[in-house]
Amino acid sequence: MNRVQNTKTVLWTITGLAAAVGVTRFVFGLGVTTNLTDATPWGLWIGFDVMAGVALAGGGFVMTAIFYVFRRDRFHPLVKPAVLTAFLGYLAVIFGLLFDLGLPWNIWHMIIYWNPHSPLFEVGWCVMLYTAVLLLEFSPVPLEETSRYARVRSFLLKFRFPLVLLGIMLSTLHQSSLGSLALLWPFKLHSLWYSAIIPVQFFISAVALGLMMVSLESLVSHWLYRRKPENDLVAGLARGAVWVLAVYLVVKLGDIIASGEFGLILAGTWESYLFIFELLISTIIPLVLFSIPGIRRSAGGQWTGSAMVVAGMVLNRINVGGLMQVSVAGDVYLPSWMEIVISMGVVSTAALAFLFAVEKLHIWEERPSHPESDPVQAPQFDFSSRVWLGGPLVAARTRYSVAFILAFAVGFAFMPEARIEGRGVEQVGALKARGGDTLYVDGNRDSYGAVFDHARHVDSLGQERSCASCHHMNAPLDKHTGCWECHRSMYTESAAFDHDWHTSPGGGNIKCDLCRTPGLERTKSSARECRDCHADLTVEGAKVAVDAYVAPSYVDAMHDLCVRCHVERARQDSTRQAMALCPACHVAPPAEYIRPEMRGNLPTRDTRPVVMPAPSLKHEESPR
Amino acid sequence: MSAAILTDVTKCIGCLECVAGCKNANDLELDTPRSWQKNDGLSARNWTSILRRADHHYVRKQCRHCLEPACATACPVGALHQTDKGAVVYDSNKCLGCRYCMMACPYGIPRYDWDEPVPYVRKCILCYEKIKQGEQPGCTAACPTGATIFGDRDELVAEAHRRIRENPGKYVDHVWGEHEFGGTSVLYVSDIDLGFLSYAGYSENRPLPETTALAMKAVPFAFVGMGGLMYGLNWIIKRRMELSEHQDEGKD
Repeated sequence: MNRVQNTKTVLWTITGLAAAVGVTRFVFGLGVTTNLTDATPWGLWIGFDVMAGVALAGGGFVMTAIFYVFRRDRFHPLVKPAVLTAFLGYLAVIFGLLFDLGLPWNIWHMIIYWNPHSPLFEVGWCVMLYTAVLLLEFSPVPLEETSRYARVRSFLLKFRFPLVLLGIMLSTLHQSSLGSLALLWPFKLHSLWYSAIIPVQFFISAVALGLMMVSLESLVSHWLYRRKPENDLVAGLARGAVWVLAVYLVVKLGDIIASGEFGLILAGTWESYLFIFELLISTIIPLVLFSIPGIRRSAGGQWTGSAMVVAGMVLNRINVGGLMQVSVAGDVYLPSWMEIVISMGVVSTAALAFLFAVEKLHIWEERPSHPESDPVQAPQFDFSSRVWLGGPLVAARTRYSVAFILAFAVGFAFMPEARIEGRGVEQVGALKARGGDTLYVDGNRDSYGAVFDHARHVDSLGQERSCASCHHMNAPLDKHTGCWECHRSMYTESAAFDHDWHTSPGGGNIKCDLCRTPGLERTKSSARECRDCHADLTVEGAKVAVDAYVAPSYVDAMHDLCVRCHVERARQDSTRQAMALCPACHVAPPAEYIRPEMRGNLPTRDTRPVVMPAPSLKHEESPR
Repeated sequence: MSAAILTDVTKCIGCLECVAGCKNANDLELDTPRSWQKNDGLSARNWTSILRRADHHYVRKQCRHCLEPACATACPVGALHQTDKGAVVYDSNKCLGCRYCMMACPYGIPRYDWDEPVPYVRKCILCYEKIKQGEQPGCTAACPTGATIFGDRDELVAEAHRRIRENPGKYVDHVWGEHEFGGTSVLYVSDIDLGFLSYAGYSENRPLPETTALAMKAVPFAFVGMGGLMYGLNWIIKRRMELSEHQDEGKD
């Protein structure tokens, strides 16, 4: 196995892993695969796949500008790979965006629904157009393979310079407009990153990143295919990068100093350290390295410098795209492993496409010898069955397929069960009621309150599964459904006042006019108060007192007011034993309200023999 | 008429009737609490909530329906847009799910159906269908104490100032939403500071769309300018190369 095969195996493995995550994401949604929240709606996929991705693909417009506009002919070997990278990069950005968009099948809506005030609208259009331009810029290369399309090719080549010009113009717009996206966030983006000229900063850094990405790509591909290094060309790019990075540093620091925020750099917060780290690796250290001609020309210096710029600028995009808002948003966001895998998978897919293209097409001056058909290679065998895998090419393809499928399976195997079942977003457990089992409810804080027995509600409504019956529409912690949601109707089991029972023989055959003044509308306000009749039922030692300013809980009130008399009466009159039993008042409770100890001892509705004591109803002129 | 809501924090008793009224009016399903709702209680199925503050202060949180909404400016397809009544409403048929609106809102109002394979952005729409027919929104209709009332914006601003004027010392002398971010349709008067309603208490009177307006205006100039610059440079470089070639020929 050689470097190329090893690298491709790794890339196929990541792609397989990402494919498993991708399936999960499209079947179950974003909440299952990402750690995004309402407070941090943009994360790694926007910061890296889109914002950094577009900047990483900036090498295309930078190299075409250097070669076609500034006529630096010696950079010709780097132009085709750069255009290819840009083309694949933009395809990868769009492909990656499909994972992040909630409704990816609507991505084309920007073509028919316009909002020209939106920076994102402009970015979207530019990316669309520029991808088309890149396709036209690049297509002469594959067309070269066959003479059949020679006329198409020469037609396209005629428009090469206008296309290059258009590509540069479009790139200028959307590279900077990606920064304009952040202009809307003065309330959210950390001051060290927020700037009125962030579009300019984004454009300059995209140029630097483009140069360094082309350099890094040249270094990597020459290491990979063991080709003759292009160190002199990379040194030329590095020399250009020195100027761009210097301008970037001046603009960036100048803006911070001009807006009086220099103190924030030294503030000692984690944001300030991250800012210093970002600026060091993206700009300052590479600037110093590349300013020294010896280092600039050495392979080690080129590797270090370009890798630093790439990493640093990517970090910058991730910071602007989401990370720097975490401290303000009030919610923690760290990308889930699935987000990271998808991002890596998108990059891997693009890298595989790049390797495919450089092997099959005339991208480099000299094509690499086909790595998989290396005749010197030893024959390869399957590690378990010891079967010969066929020629080197077949063996390599078998290995890639196995890697992909294995990774796909492993991806699913490692997916947490909750994710597979579609339960992604963390659900918050209910906390213990504040104040213990009994709460004092005084909504309008006028010190007339009611005692609410939370524990008993939990008991009688069905333990833990009953929480939702009161807390269903609310946030976690202590918000609740109003009492009246249940205790409001006169005609339900939970009613505080059983109207129908009062008019029944059992309830004393109360006539309407006893509680209602004839001629008035029958509302709560025109009715007589309960205590006018029931004054004498407030027994000694009851928790209920008429002017206590604290309404007891429903259960306490009823039991204190009724049960004490019921028990007394049952003791006096042996024919009225049933008065003291629970179902005397609690008519056929629904099965789920019955506690285990109540079961088996439950009389039915027929055994409800309650007759209100007559004297109490005569107390119309009670001394109140 | 520009529809508006005035919420008087001193009158709110935290009974959550507005939350229930909103749920009924908009036919919202039951909610499963999420970690981020600890902050403000809003979710894709909870378009308004009551924030408990110290000393029995209850502050209702909902979409502020900015007069110059940042979310509508951010939306690349105009799915979120402002209506003639002032309500900022959502067209789910246009949305592509980029969530830039959620990033753009200084109050953090728009919420997402994270658990759905086909997710939408959800937020208070000021019961637009109801106010079009002359009814009032579900929340204000449900409020038992008159703490949150519906009406014309100009009248409600006047009413807010009247309350502050006639009850000296009772209110903080500020109508929240009168000028913030260019003014909002949902206004507050309060006896406590309501800065916490926006991210990190950030507040300015400049409408947020103005932050990008300059950059967006520069777009055509940048486009043409860069094209012209590149063409010009190329012309000069080409010319100089031709001249130097001629010189070389002349030497020979």
